[in-house]
Amino acid sequence: MVTLKKDPLNLIITGVGGQGNVLASQLIGNALVAKGYFVTIGETYGASQRGGPVMSHVRISEKTQCAPLIPEGKSDVILGLEPMETIRIIGPYGNPNILVVTNSRPIYPLDVTVGNTKYPDWKVIRAVIAELSQKAYFVDATEMAMNLGTPILANIIMVGALVALKVLPLNREDILGVLQETFSTQKLEINIKALELGIETINNKNN
Amino acid sequence: MSIVNLDAPGRTVLMMGNEATARGALEAGVMVATAYPGTPSSEIIGSLAEVAKEREIYVEWSVNEKVALEVAAAASMAGLRAITAMKQNGLNVACDYLFTLGLTGVKGGIVLVVCDDPASHSSSNEEDTRAFARMGDFPLLEPTTFQEAKDMTIYALELSEELRTVVILRGVTRISHARGNVKLGELPKDHRKPYFDTSSPFTYSPMVQKHSLLHEKLNKAKERFETSPFNSYEGPEKPDLMVIASGTGIFYSREAVTLMGLEDQVGILKLGTTWPLPDRFLGKHLARTQKIMFVEEVDPFLESNVKEVWADLAPILEIGPRTFYGKRSGHIPIVGELTTDRVIEGLKKALDEVYEPCDPNYSRRAKEVTKEFVSDRALGFCPGCPHRASYWAIKNALKLDDREGFLTPDIGCYALARTASGFFLSKTGGAMGSGTGLACGFGKLQEFGFDQSVISVCGDSTFFHAVMPALVNAQYNKSNFVMCILDNSATAMTGFQPHPGVGTSAMGDPAPILDIEAICRAMGAKVEVKDPFDLKDTTETITRLFQDREGVKVLILKRKCALLKAKGEKPPYKIHIALENCVGQDCGCNQLCTRIFRCPGIIWDTETKKAKVDEVICVGCGVCTDICPNSAIIKEET
Amino acid sequence: MSDIKGPSDLEKEVLKQKLCVACGACMGLCAYFGTFQGKVVMLDSCKLIQGRCYAFCPRTTTDMEKLRLEFFDKRDFLPEIGPFRGLYITRASDKSIRTKSQHGGSTTALVELAMKEGLIDSAIMTCSNGGLNPSGMLVSKPEEVRRCSGSSFQIPPSLMILNQALKENKYKKIGVIGTPCKTLAAYKTRSKPFAENDHHADNIAMVFGLFCGWGLDWVGLEKVIEGKTPPEKVKHIDVLPSKYQILEVKTRNGRIEVPLDEIYPIVRESCRYCTDMTAEFSDISIGGARSSKGWDFDRGWNQVIVRTRKGEELLKIAREKRILEFREIESENFDKLKKASRNKKKNATQNILKKTGNGNNLLYLDPEDPGLKGLLHSAI
Repeated sequence: MVTLKKDPLNLIITGVGGQGNVLASQLIGNALVAKGYFVTIGETYGASQRGGPVMSHVRISEKTQCAPLIPEGKSDVILGLEPMETIRIIGPYGNPNILVVTNSRPIYPLDVTVGNTKYPDWKVIRAVIAELSQKAYFVDATEMAMNLGTPILANIIMVGALVALKVLPLNREDILGVLQETFSTQKLEINIKALELGIETINNKNN
Repeated sequence: MSIVNLDAPGRTVLMMGNEATARGALEAGVMVATAYPGTPSSEIIGSLAEVAKEREIYVEWSVNEKVALEVAAAASMAGLRAITAMKQNGLNVACDYLFTLGLTGVKGGIVLVVCDDPASHSSSNEEDTRAFARMGDFPLLEPTTFQEAKDMTIYALELSEELRTVVILRGVTRISHARGNVKLGELPKDHRKPYFDTSSPFTYSPMVQKHSLLHEKLNKAKERFETSPFNSYEGPEKPDLMVIASGTGIFYSREAVTLMGLEDQVGILKLGTTWPLPDRFLGKHLARTQKIMFVEEVDPFLESNVKEVWADLAPILEIGPRTFYGKRSGHIPIVGELTTDRVIEGLKKALDEVYEPCDPNYSRRAKEVTKEFVSDRALGFCPGCPHRASYWAIKNALKLDDREGFLTPDIGCYALARTASGFFLSKTGGAMGSGTGLACGFGKLQEFGFDQSVISVCGDSTFFHAVMPALVNAQYNKSNFVMCILDNSATAMTGFQPHPGVGTSAMGDPAPILDIEAICRAMGAKVEVKDPFDLKDTTETITRLFQDREGVKVLILKRKCALLKAKGEKPPYKIHIALENCVGQDCGCNQLCTRIFRCPGIIWDTETKKAKVDEVICVGCGVCTDICPNSAIIKEET
Repeated sequence: MSDIKGPSDLEKEVLKQKLCVACGACMGLCAYFGTFQGKVVMLDSCKLIQGRCYAFCPRTTTDMEKLRLEFFDKRDFLPEIGPFRGLYITRASDKSIRTKSQHGGSTTALVELAMKEGLIDSAIMTCSNGGLNPSGMLVSKPEEVRRCSGSSFQIPPSLMILNQALKENKYKKIGVIGTPCKTLAAYKTRSKPFAENDHHADNIAMVFGLFCGWGLDWVGLEKVIEGKTPPEKVKHIDVLPSKYQILEVKTRNGRIEVPLDEIYPIVRESCRYCTDMTAEFSDISIGGARSSKGWDFDRGWNQVIVRTRKGEELLKIAREKRILEFREIESENFDKLKKASRNKKKNATQNILKKTGNGNNLLYLDPEDPGLKGLLHSAI
């Protein structure tokens, strides 16, 4: 049974240290392994705790383990937890056929916060991402997460968005399963809410 | 519930390379596991520590990698199986004993896992530790997949026990920290009982005899490797070019070949046992084709060694001349990390092929956009980090001392002294403990007329690892410098593993606290302890210490790492800006807080042209209130 | 205005050139300058292209004529000693002032009087601390003035205190007391070089200058004294008239003579480039008396130069209220003073030319300054 449109399917999750990038990639990875896929996740997160970018290359295959880094120009889906990081990834790994889902809330680099450079305007970011992808979705994940109580839930909302877009061979139940394995009963409920919110947002956009 | 301890033989799970190695150690019956934290190796012993009590094994964060190896070796000599793990620099520290261990031999299987860091994502250098295997005459294995990370660990322990010698397992960041499918095996039920057989001692003399014996072991390993399932060939019978690769090189080569559509022209010889090289196996495959390309991480290790094998075998097996491509020929870069794209470049050159990853117009535009809109995320200290305060005081003290003084830092978060957040204070770089060692040297140049003030900086974990001997040296040889210990009660950079100063062991038990201040005093050094958050006092102290030109002056700047306080503790202050006092960009300030002090908790508001507190990021430490020249930063106790 | 630069230039042109006299004019304006052991250091650069630090510094180029014309009567100017309206020999009438003061105690008496009379409401002074390691201080009560009295051969950056006081804008009639470098800086401040930021400089009401030959390196002086007596016992330091070639150190137990040969090496390098002996920018300048009566007599008296009407007014009150005693001026006094002052200008210009090795590079000196007339040519 071939369920992947492409083998390997290449997903990049990108963001800034502390956004839960690694957790998101693990949730997706665990769900896929449980369904029998080969998953290879390569991560770059040197000193990310101290302000640096984090990228996770998630490669899904029915046949084999893959190189942990996606080659230039070969990503299929980019899940951006932060807008500038999304553009940073599109540069080397994008191609005209990519699907991009990005969070709208910026995390300003030190250079911007100290007044040395300006963070690009949101309109410009939207335009540029739309130009460089086949399809692009913009999600106010941080806002939604803050409404749920804490900004850290944004990554789960984004995973929900990805599920709703049906680009991965994963459905809602698959993710619920790994959420149950990962979170204690206290935290489980709010994470499920976050997942549902992400799914809902995309479904509303598509309708 | 740790995945490393999952009792589900046959199940396939997603595991980090390091976790797979740890799981392999458990399945093979390892009872003693040791390490000093070092990215990218820390999770091996870290994950074993989490399950140590359940598995009834002993796991230790040793004070440094040499002791870690020695502790594991002791377990092995007592008949137990052991694992010790480290990063490349750690092997440099441990290798003195490693070479002796080669001569003395071992009893219970012992695997030495080394995780190299090509491109230096989290290191001071990039180094190919496979050279140690050749230098010390040890069998060497390189996993490619995560399954192999587990399976090779098990094999290494079995081989080590059979041959009575250490076996080295070498990985890289992209295996250690990457995740993939691993099928779990059985976890053992019994434990061995340790016993040191005094009738069969582990000595290194007579040395020459022992060395011969070591070579015999190595030859036995070679025999095993001739038929190892870790070595294999894939591709056409007679390829135009054969890639010889190990480790991650296999993945990158496979993908390069697929993307370029060269499956019918290029074959790949996978080597998992890379020292000693199985020469008969190699000879067979070297006969396939004239063009050979080597794909491996960091140094041309396989490249040089296979060329040797070819040189020896060519006349015997009548293999003609070969064209070797690799790092020596420039087809694969000799510095930096391997990627599929780099292998593609090599193949393009070697086979005169063309390849475009995607529409070149798109690539060009995408790169343009990235250049225009994306800025670097400079590394800096976390909000509330005591190092920012310490370096502020040191920076000012060096200026007040006005003698072109400088800082010699060590390894850790505080090595960020080389960045803008550390006020570009770093003037030297080194290995663990080198900051103090170098200062010892500078501190003896007074008699030749050297008058510059020198201050070395190290952390609490680094102090125990390597700095203590340097302090003995400074005291004994009367070297003149200020030795600053930034005691934040943490081994922060690698992930907060406990160390001898914090009172907990790897396995979570209470541990005696070794008091750094008491140790320094016991060595007879002049010691002072200050709180770096008291900028005025700290600056005055350091400036004063610079005036004392006799011997080493130890200054301990003690304050907990900001990240240790994250959970549960409420911030001491609430900070806001008194806008009417903020001078902003005018004469009298020009953004001192955001432009130079650079705490991410303060941002520059381009609308109001004043400073502003980012309430999400600010942790309320209050240090910034003391640096504002106009009292515009206000702190209120919470 | 276009000549005013910023702190990076200040560092390059003054600090790194060893011209800095550590007067403190650049301090107290921001957080970028600090001081330790009598030196001023730049901790970081604010990177602004123009700054008050550069504008107020007495060792950046100054249009001397313009500055003089702004504050003094053109007709009063004498090239040897600056604006001149009268020379007097005085001492404080109150003996208790004289026991502590360096010479006649006239500075202490005049500043105290100015405060009592409301001519000033505060004073930026150098507090002697007994002779070593003096400190700058703001005093706002007449009785505090006496506490600062005493000799100092180290020059603390007291203008930092002036800048802080001006910023606070609490005191509206500040008196500034200092060596020639400080008084020049005070006047550069008073000239309000920045239209958008006058730094409340009009709050400076009066300037009292102190005659100065040179200042000593702080660490150097401590070391010389340490070799002869415990530094904390020093009560008073003075340089005797040049024929003696002695630095006199009085301690609690007695008196030590240090040959000037041991002192010349620790004279601050920046002092060697100073052209001003009599503090030419002030309302009143005070120094030690030098007459034919000899040192034992002169040591208890001051020479006083009055430069402005305000200075005249104060001296008149001092005479009327018998705060000061006056002595007769001898005819050679004036010439001797002018000669000594001109000598300092000559030495300074020669030192500068030796330093730059280039007749066209006079560092901070204004080649159009009439006070340097005749000196620049003879030096080349």
